[in-house]
Amino acid sequence: MRMYYELAKRSFQQQFAYRAATLAGIFTNSVFGVMLSSVYLALYWDQAENASVGGFTAQQAVTYTWIGQTLIGPVLFWGWWEIISSIRDGTVVMDMLKPMDYFRYWLCRDLGRGAGKVLTRALPTLLVGAILFDLVWPENWQRAVAFLISVPFAVTVSFCLRFMFNLWGFWLLDHRGVSSLVILLSGVFSGHLLPISWYPPAIRDFINVLPFRSMMMTPVEIWLGQVSIALGLAMQVFWSVVMIGCCYLVLHFAERKVVVQGG
Amino acid sequence: MDKPLTLAGELRIAGKIISIRIRGQMTYRSSFIMQILSNFLVNFAEVLALFAMFYQFDTMGGWTLGEVALLHGMSMIAFSLGDTLTIGMDQVAPQIRNGEFDRVLTRPLSTWINAATSEVSVRHMGQLSQGILVLAFALTQVSIDWNIARVLMLIGAILTGVALFMALFTVEAIFSFWTVNGVEAINAFTYGGSDLAQFPMHVFGRTLRFLFIWIIPVAFVTYYPALYLLDKPDPLGMPGWFVLLGPLITGVFCCVVAWGWNQGIRHYRSTGS
Repeated sequence: MRMYYELAKRSFQQQFAYRAATLAGIFTNSVFGVMLSSVYLALYWDQAENASVGGFTAQQAVTYTWIGQTLIGPVLFWGWWEIISSIRDGTVVMDMLKPMDYFRYWLCRDLGRGAGKVLTRALPTLLVGAILFDLVWPENWQRAVAFLISVPFAVTVSFCLRFMFNLWGFWLLDHRGVSSLVILLSGVFSGHLLPISWYPPAIRDFINVLPFRSMMMTPVEIWLGQVSIALGLAMQVFWSVVMIGCCYLVLHFAERKVVVQGG
Repeated sequence: MDKPLTLAGELRIAGKIISIRIRGQMTYRSSFIMQILSNFLVNFAEVLALFAMFYQFDTMGGWTLGEVALLHGMSMIAFSLGDTLTIGMDQVAPQIRNGEFDRVLTRPLSTWINAATSEVSVRHMGQLSQGILVLAFALTQVSIDWNIARVLMLIGAILTGVALFMALFTVEAIFSFWTVNGVEAINAFTYGGSDLAQFPMHVFGRTLRFLFIWIIPVAFVTYYPALYLLDKPDPLGMPGWFVLLGPLITGVFCCVVAWGWNQGIRHYRSTGS
């Protein structure tokens, strides 16, 4: 257990090493935050003040866009292919020979990375949003705490998704074809692109029964008070367990399939 | 050194390189098809999001679905073409790091064309076809009083956009001649620019408007041409002829980028052994 903690700690510390990249990330997230907030506010121009459309008032919609930009860093909605590169250059063998559980080895590193990103990327981005826009804040401290608890679960579900797509590399050895599929699942079905409740009923109901909303929509709903704390967190725990189970299942088959490249 | 090539000659060689690379990619047929399909799917999701917005709301900043779809279609077409033609620019940073960029310098071909064609990807065909469909849908929804000037405006706007996005992707590569840190901030202007171009400019605040009208003239790719096509007055108060400044401002931007590229080439010191 100690070993996994050390792994997580290393990844956590790594996040503080690249200052320019962190600043660039905060800048990009903030520009998109301002842009999307303006677009969402424009939708409400001819609505009555405080009108709620699809479950969101204008102020809640703006808050939604900033939580979305805030979560990009820790949750990482797209583009993570470290395992595939390790398959390509052969280091996957070293990783698999380590006296550790292969899945837990990567999960702990990713949770450490996520925690680091909360401090370096997420909080500064949220601060920019709070300065520039009038955001809705959690109505009591319990909700604020519940939101903080929901983030590691969001990271876990996101990690499992990325892990499984990387393991696909044991068969394909190329991620270009499937990378867009990850963007679709984690970008759209998580609710990152648009609040899920805004889609027409058929699509909305379909997305709602999938695990991916745990990555973004559920934390937002916990923040905004659109779901009870218990139900929101319970859903996230449930999907985390299911996704972790799927990861082990895929890993079981992938381990038989591993092709070592490089010398 | 051999006799320098003419521009036409260089473009012919670039065309040849591109066709070889595309044929190379097609040998991995399943990956090739999947890239196009999944790119189509991702962009379909973004279009779906637009429709979903208008499923909940009637207008955005006073514009209807058809009018905003017009902006979306034009932006998607320009961005996908510009990105396809300069996708090799993504490779400049890794090439500099491992010393492979020397290859670009030693070839008897313009360094820029050489770098731009160092990788070719057809995955953006998915986005291009999507953009054409959205534009076609938009044109059925809005009433445009078509004449020669308006047809030229639509074509000219898209060509301006292709040039602008090619220049923007080059900016990302230029920075990597000096630093590998923080280059991703350019994403705010490339992807951000194409996203911003999909919405009416007047919904944005003063800072973003200034930036995307005067510095990175994204507004001339979709917004001002759309005002002209739809015969709408500019809510921001610019006169009708303002749209004609588009190619001029974009030209200035491209010249600055070209200058920057040459500075970058001059600054480059090989890391290879």
